[in-house]
Amino acid sequence: MEVLAMLRQLIGQVKQLLELHAASSSSSNISFHPQTPPLLHLPRFYFLNRDENSAEDSCFNIIMTAGKSENLKMLEPGKPPPKKKARKERNRGEVTGTSHSIENLDQQIWKEFPEDLIEAVVARLPIATFFRFRLVCHKWNSMLTSQSFSEQCAQVPQPQPWFYTITHENVNTGAMYDPTLKKWHHPTIPALPTKLIVLPVASAGGLVCFLDIGHRSFYVCNPLTRSFKELPARSVKVWSRVAVGITLCGKSASEGYNILWVGCDGEFEVYNSRNNSWDRPGTMSSNIKLPLALNFKSQTVSIGSKLYFMRSDPDGIVSYDMVTGVWKQFIIPAPLHLSDHTLAECGGRIMLVGLLTKNAATCVCIWELQKMTLLWKEVDRMPNIWCLEFYGKHVRMTCLGNKGLLMLSLRSRQMNRLVTYDFSTGKWMKVPGCILPRGRKRQWIACGTAFHPCLTAVA
Amino acid sequence: MASSSKTEQKKMLILKSSEEEEFEIEESIAVQSGTIKNMVEDDFTLIPLPNVDTETLIKIIKYMKKHGEKTKSNEKDIEEFDKEFVKKSFTELKELVLAANYLHITSLIDLLCQAFADRIKNKSVKAIREIFGIPNDFTPEEEAEVYEQHKWAHEEGKEHIDHSAY
Repeated sequence: MEVLAMLRQLIGQVKQLLELHAASSSSSNISFHPQTPPLLHLPRFYFLNRDENSAEDSCFNIIMTAGKSENLKMLEPGKPPPKKKARKERNRGEVTGTSHSIENLDQQIWKEFPEDLIEAVVARLPIATFFRFRLVCHKWNSMLTSQSFSEQCAQVPQPQPWFYTITHENVNTGAMYDPTLKKWHHPTIPALPTKLIVLPVASAGGLVCFLDIGHRSFYVCNPLTRSFKELPARSVKVWSRVAVGITLCGKSASEGYNILWVGCDGEFEVYNSRNNSWDRPGTMSSNIKLPLALNFKSQTVSIGSKLYFMRSDPDGIVSYDMVTGVWKQFIIPAPLHLSDHTLAECGGRIMLVGLLTKNAATCVCIWELQKMTLLWKEVDRMPNIWCLEFYGKHVRMTCLGNKGLLMLSLRSRQMNRLVTYDFSTGKWMKVPGCILPRGRKRQWIACGTAFHPCLTAVA
Repeated sequence: MASSSKTEQKKMLILKSSEEEEFEIEESIAVQSGTIKNMVEDDFTLIPLPNVDTETLIKIIKYMKKHGEKTKSNEKDIEEFDKEFVKKSFTELKELVLAANYLHITSLIDLLCQAFADRIKNKSVKAIREIFGIPNDFTPEEEAEVYEQHKWAHEEGKEHIDHSAY
């Protein structure tokens, strides 16, 4: 009966309170006045059935809602106080059952972890982990589109490039290789619309540029987030084979990018992502010998604002500067017995990679361009023991990525070996076979390009 | 009159923790902290740090002293120090990164954030929610959709997921 007495006292106090604030229109906004001491003695038991999800534990909140007329219903003696509704309706799913037990008080402290620090931590997670953690909550899921998160990512040192490849069998879906974890990833939802047959031709800032198999249309895509764009049509009417290069206007894709295509007749055009249009910034200078016998098997090299393409007849390199619009030609004699060669780059140095075949022996060699003398100097070779595998066999080599970390596909009639070579350490590594999940067969890799995984690059 | 002191008189500062304990430190080393640098420019020599407790401050001073003597030749040594420095409990790391953030010591913030990321990268989504006190605000349908988008990230390496929340 003590309880009844307390309740009656309470009724009296609340009635007093209402009389004091009869003038205030909204009864839900009674402020706490220190001069009304009766309120200080509100018994705690009254509010036992507070909303489990409420993180606010203070008396003040309770006092504020005491004025609500519906709460007066709680004062009927004999009836248990009904569940108090949280003032703000919070849409919470499952409750972490541990949030109120004493031993997990420590975890409550984690809530004060500032957002920018959380973003700094998340920006340093491996890519696959980042995608797993998108399931944590809506906020983490939308980090990809957050400007501040994008800035955090830009501050983290560039990881090794990944490789986006197209397999012979599934020409419409890509397989991505992560060299740090030595893992192949097979995205379930393809980055590109499935009706297109496109081949990756160049990449910069986390974006990969694709050209359809008929050399007609260009597409740009971020393979990680599937951000995708088809570029407007070019002005040429004849769809001949072209070499393609892409450069960034600034430090990241968000500042814009330029894509150049060039054909054997010296025709070229540059796409500017900021205007979303193609321009013809002039004609190739007359010092470039035409027809331009471009080596279409070679991947383009981009260093800063310059693009480098391999040519033959005469052997050498042609370069284009996106900023000045100037074409330059460098005549560089090719090493003898060279085939399936491609340009590559590492830390601003231009490299050449190719097969050297002498009699029945084949070897993969690496040369570096000596800028002063314009000669190729051999700097490394694939270990002999690996080369022996190809002895006497007809081997074809395709470059699947040429930025700092080289990936090569070596094919003979019965096998397809994949290797990577790190220009900075000189290490050759074998790449595990590309096997589809729940599959057994190793996929044959047709072509590919290296790209720097960037979560926030938008096409 | 020649000044005969053998060692140059280095300017010293006093850092005071939230528990009122004081620590003397060379100014040249202390200014690795942007916050302290600003206060020095405003002519403070006694720097109160009400957001940093004594234990954490001691560790931070140790870090700054080590990084203060960085030269071209002892890079490896400093790398080793950094590796050992982050071998601490979750709670200690948390206190450190909050303090480093408050003190604006960029290299330490980067080091600690990377250490955190490495600590949590193999944890399950549920464990992450517990650690950061984040309730799940996905409906089952939304969850299934997000899961499907990046199924490859979830399926591969399932064996290595750590479910502990510490």
